[in-house]
Amino acid sequence: GVPRLVEWHKQRATSGFAAPSSPNQSECSHLQKLHRGSSFSSPVVEHVSSSSSSSLKTKTSIEPKGKHGTGALDVASAMSPAACSHVNGFKVDNWKQNLRVIYRCFVWSGSAETRKRKAKSCVCHVCGAHLSRLHSCLYCVFFGCFAKKHIHEHAKSKRHNLAIDLLYGGIYCFVCQDYIYDKDMEQIAKEEQRKAWKLQGTSHLFAPAGIGERYSTWEPTKRELELLQHNPKRRRITTNCTIGLRGLINLGNTCFMNCIVQALTHTPLLRDFFLSDRHKCEMKPNSCLVCEMSQLFQEFYSGHRSPHIPFRLLHLVWTHARHLAGYEQQDAHEFLIAALDVLHRHCKGDDNGKKANNPNHCNCIIDQIFTGGLQSDVTCQVCHGVSTTIDPFWDISLDLPGSSTPFWPLSPGSDGSVVNGESQMSGATTLTDCLRRFTRPEHLGSSAKIKCSGCHSYQESTKQLTMKKLPIVACFHLKRFEHSAKLRRKITTYVSFPLELDMTPFMASSKESRMNGQYQQSMDTLNNDNKYSLFAVVNHQGTLESGHYTTFIRQHKDQWFKCDDAIITKASIKDVLDSEGYLLFYHKQFLEYE
Amino acid sequence: MSKDLQMRAAINQKLIEMGERERLKELLRAKLIECGWKDQLKAHCKDVIKEKGLEHVTVEDLVAEITPKGRALVPDSVKKELLQRIRAFLAQHSTL
Repeated sequence: GVPRLVEWHKQRATSGFAAPSSPNQSECSHLQKLHRGSSFSSPVVEHVSSSSSSSLKTKTSIEPKGKHGTGALDVASAMSPAACSHVNGFKVDNWKQNLRVIYRCFVWSGSAETRKRKAKSCVCHVCGAHLSRLHSCLYCVFFGCFAKKHIHEHAKSKRHNLAIDLLYGGIYCFVCQDYIYDKDMEQIAKEEQRKAWKLQGTSHLFAPAGIGERYSTWEPTKRELELLQHNPKRRRITTNCTIGLRGLINLGNTCFMNCIVQALTHTPLLRDFFLSDRHKCEMKPNSCLVCEMSQLFQEFYSGHRSPHIPFRLLHLVWTHARHLAGYEQQDAHEFLIAALDVLHRHCKGDDNGKKANNPNHCNCIIDQIFTGGLQSDVTCQVCHGVSTTIDPFWDISLDLPGSSTPFWPLSPGSDGSVVNGESQMSGATTLTDCLRRFTRPEHLGSSAKIKCSGCHSYQESTKQLTMKKLPIVACFHLKRFEHSAKLRRKITTYVSFPLELDMTPFMASSKESRMNGQYQQSMDTLNNDNKYSLFAVVNHQGTLESGHYTTFIRQHKDQWFKCDDAIITKASIKDVLDSEGYLLFYHKQFLEYE
Repeated sequence: MSKDLQMRAAINQKLIEMGERERLKELLRAKLIECGWKDQLKAHCKDVIKEKGLEHVTVEDLVAEITPKGRALVPDSVKKELLQRIRAFLAQHSTL
């Protein structure tokens, strides 16, 4: 087969969203909940000992309810651990209101006034310390530290046997000598905590980008508990387990699709999104690619070791991306862009109600993960006025040496500086070289004059591309397939790429500071926003006429595997870095919080 | 109270008053989840519980067992970042 290369315009054609039809509530039969926010750590599945009847009870007791102060489970009281009998002495008269006041003033202070009071008064009455696990007596106004046992002394001498942890709101019983979990008290605690959060407003530091809720421990719903009970088998994630790895059958030159599927199923944020069931479908059943993707993740994380047959995926791709239909070999890069586009279009239901006024800036998971902003500055050579546009992008296509367009030299006067640990003089072309070339100022020439709004006439100009906004996953496409008028060939020039990549030199902001005369600070270890880690590499072996795609993917932070259709084998980092490289997938090392 | 302790108390007060302590706590929580610290300690907790037996273990047992490990496992980058934020906060509210 012949890999075809279609020019992908930087500005995606805006296509209307699919018309909403009858809602399709997807309910997955396997239930695997994940913690939000884990990047490279493996997906955590709650491990419950498979010893029968006590399993769910075990789970409820292990949850650190004392520490969080919330966590009254919505289950039949037979399930929740009984609170101790010593609280009965406390639960008299107006105890609920008294307890609320304590939470509001000393544990979760929502208003400025209560905060001030808390700041002033919450110190140990014995030693004045404020940081040794301060507790407040529930029977009188006394604060004592736990670590130094001052609250214990008070409890003993006054026979006040209940105290509350001022950090997390847990209730401690000195008779039982442990934290206790009383359903009524927990309810009050939860309510007061929510109230305090509301008072503090939606602070920008409280929520990871795109989720918009404050962190709280996951608690299963009734339905989820049922499912957990009916499906008692659990899977333990260890550092060596191979969950998430699965081969894909080649359905006839479909390795171009398989290799991309492997990269996508190993994109941590995407995996977390799908395994947390975050997709709400608004399309006809069996026509939504996002639903199919969700199914695919279920298949990959099911633990089945036999290769998966992605015939439904292939069919959906053919339906929604006609130009890829047929049994010929296609270009993997083209497939990636088409797949992202269809997924983006089908994600309409996940917008959380926010109207996507601008189709280029919707809040779907695809945009959140893959969309970056490319800044294009056109500078008039006469008046030096700059015209700036920012276009969204899903990938960066890089020219290579050996193509018909000249690669060297780079920007005039470029220094042989060391970037990303690679020196320009070393001989082998590096990814950084390609990026430097991509972001160099380019003379547009006298035959391509631009209308300058400052000069009101056509002038010669230079154009420069820089990164305005970096996506969480950056995909670099090495343009190995050349299709010029004369020749069609594959460029096999070796390009070395790093395991860790710093995009700082290519940022629009870096360009600005260079122009303002501020030289780049030596790598500030705290400016981590532009650092990336390699997690997937798609390779093409063979020629333009007949070739084969494979993917290296990263698992458990430092283990790599080669995915060759149905065959998965262990690979070394050296194998990965020595490979030719066609599509390089990098993941941001540190997630920014909006 | 020594001058050092007095200063700490004053800083702590300011942090609580301005709501900064809450924000820092949330940020820290997020960072510790991200780097896998929470998962590590959770696993350690489960080991302790298995060892001591579910019916007998107390919160105190867990606190005693995991505090040293928890402290040691906090990544330097996280410590640095929190410190930097506290410094920035203090610089802003320089009446201290």
